Amino acid sequence: MKLNKFLKEKGYVILSFLILYFVLLLMFMAFKIDSSLLIATTILLHGFLFNILMIEYWRKRKFYTDLIENIKALDKAYFVLETLEKPEFYEGELLFNALYEINKSMNEMVKLKEEQMRDYKEYIEMWIHEVKIPISSLLLMAHNHAKKFDKKTIEQIRRINDNVEQVLFYARQESAEKDYLIKKVTLSKIISLVALKNKDDLLENKIDFLVMHVNEDVYTDAKWLEFILNQIVNNSIKYRNKKGAYIRISSKDESDRINLIIEDNGIGIESADLPRVFDKTFTGKNGHNLPKSTGMGLFIVKNLCTKLGHKIEITSKVNVYTKVVITFYKNQFYAVVKKENR
Amino acid sequence: MKKILIIEDEKVICIELANLLNQAGYETIILQDFAMSVEDIIEYQADLILLDINIPVTNGEILLANLRKKSNVPVIMVTSRNNEIDEVLSMSYGADDYITKPYNPTILLLRINSIFKRLENISDTIIYKDLVVYMQKGIIKKGEQEITLTKNEMIILNYLLTHQNKIVTRDELMTDLWNNDEYINDNALTVNISRLRTKLKEVGHAKAIETRKGIGYILS
Repeated sequence: MKLNKFLKEKGYVILSFLILYFVLLLMFMAFKIDSSLLIATTILLHGFLFNILMIEYWRKRKFYTDLIENIKALDKAYFVLETLEKPEFYEGELLFNALYEINKSMNEMVKLKEEQMRDYKEYIEMWIHEVKIPISSLLLMAHNHAKKFDKKTIEQIRRINDNVEQVLFYARQESAEKDYLIKKVTLSKIISLVALKNKDDLLENKIDFLVMHVNEDVYTDAKWLEFILNQIVNNSIKYRNKKGAYIRISSKDESDRINLIIEDNGIGIESADLPRVFDKTFTGKNGHNLPKSTGMGLFIVKNLCTKLGHKIEITSKVNVYTKVVITFYKNQFYAVVKKENR
Repeated sequence: MKKILIIEDEKVICIELANLLNQAGYETIILQDFAMSVEDIIEYQADLILLDINIPVTNGEILLANLRKKSNVPVIMVTSRNNEIDEVLSMSYGADDYITKPYNPTILLLRINSIFKRLENISDTIIYKDLVVYMQKGIIKKGEQEITLTKNEMIILNYLLTHQNKIVTRDELMTDLWNNDEYINDNALTVNISRLRTKLKEVGHAKAIETRKGIGYILS
């Protein structure tokens, strides 16, 4: 709260006072009153005005200065009321009470929205568990009655399942709750699960699946990482080159981090599109040539990686290669987890 | 014959699962009454239990925890809950394995098989006619004669031996190979099988592996 602005605000008081003083001066002169009384009255009146203004300024200054400063200092400005004492002057009290009411109603709204979102997420998760039952039944039926179902049917069932999984992880990454569990996971185990999931697609399309050296342990959520790798491998399969296609997976221990590298020799990504591949609903040039993609896969992958504390990077050259590197840091956060898991 | 108890509330899955397990040579029981006590479940004397987490009356995890107080019967949790917390919880309650729906039926059978193998502590030698097969070493012996197999050939032979006199599809062999982190392609499978045949021929079993056109192979 600045003094000059405060005084400007109080201009009408000062102006009224000056008019009053001027009238008084005229009256004093008209009645030919002694000049010493005139001087005394002048000092008294000015002192009085000064006092009133200063007292008001000091009373308000603390509250408003704290309010402004604290709003600036807090990263969540809406907590400001918690840091202030209720002021003792009337206007301040009104403002404080109004802010309190606004806060309360906003909190209620936020809570309502959070509840709605949680309900929605719970429903999505529940629905996904429900829909997985018929998917499982179909896969079992297809296996038991192989004559009635051909490979194409199974492929379509698997596609449904992949899409359903994507919704599940979208719901998970959007929610504020922590529903992952970080523990020690061997990379080769997750890769094995992803390989088995995509086995038919890989064999059908004659894509060689080359897994080099992947015996490193990393700290992550196994299910989330499985989803992430599955998305990446799915993309490699989708954007393969016709001849001699391969997907090569390897890992590298680099003292403070472990890099997992998934490389393919597919159609690649235009350099102009590369910076945007993780954007929501971005499909780029690749997406236009092939059957429509949602552009959600890599967006979810990126968010999951961020939540887990992994870094993900994609480099590519059109018609030569696409290379995805996931970095697992061995920092202190994981050291803590390590200790707890022991 | 091994007996497997299916605890699952979805009728279609129960029937198809029983069908699958019967074809693989297991006896199956489907639990009808979910209010059954742990004692009643033990009464069935199953060799293995396939337990779903989402079942009526109780919950798979609680049932497992109660079961573990009284029995060591192997349990595989089968669930559509694809989340790490549930898996860790189930394993800490004493599940032997955890599989999420939808699963590859061949993988389920492989997992069941590997639990039985682990429990029975089967020595890694299998006798086939006049041959002794050493799984770990990857060696076949006929008297003094010794033949070395590669890892892939061993996986294929092992699968054929555990399914002796049954038709084995190429897909099953492929699944087992991939399940063992051997991500080979179709050509390589054909090559491996013909090499295995050549090696079996050397020890006098040229016709051991027959091809059933369009279906798969059979080890007689």
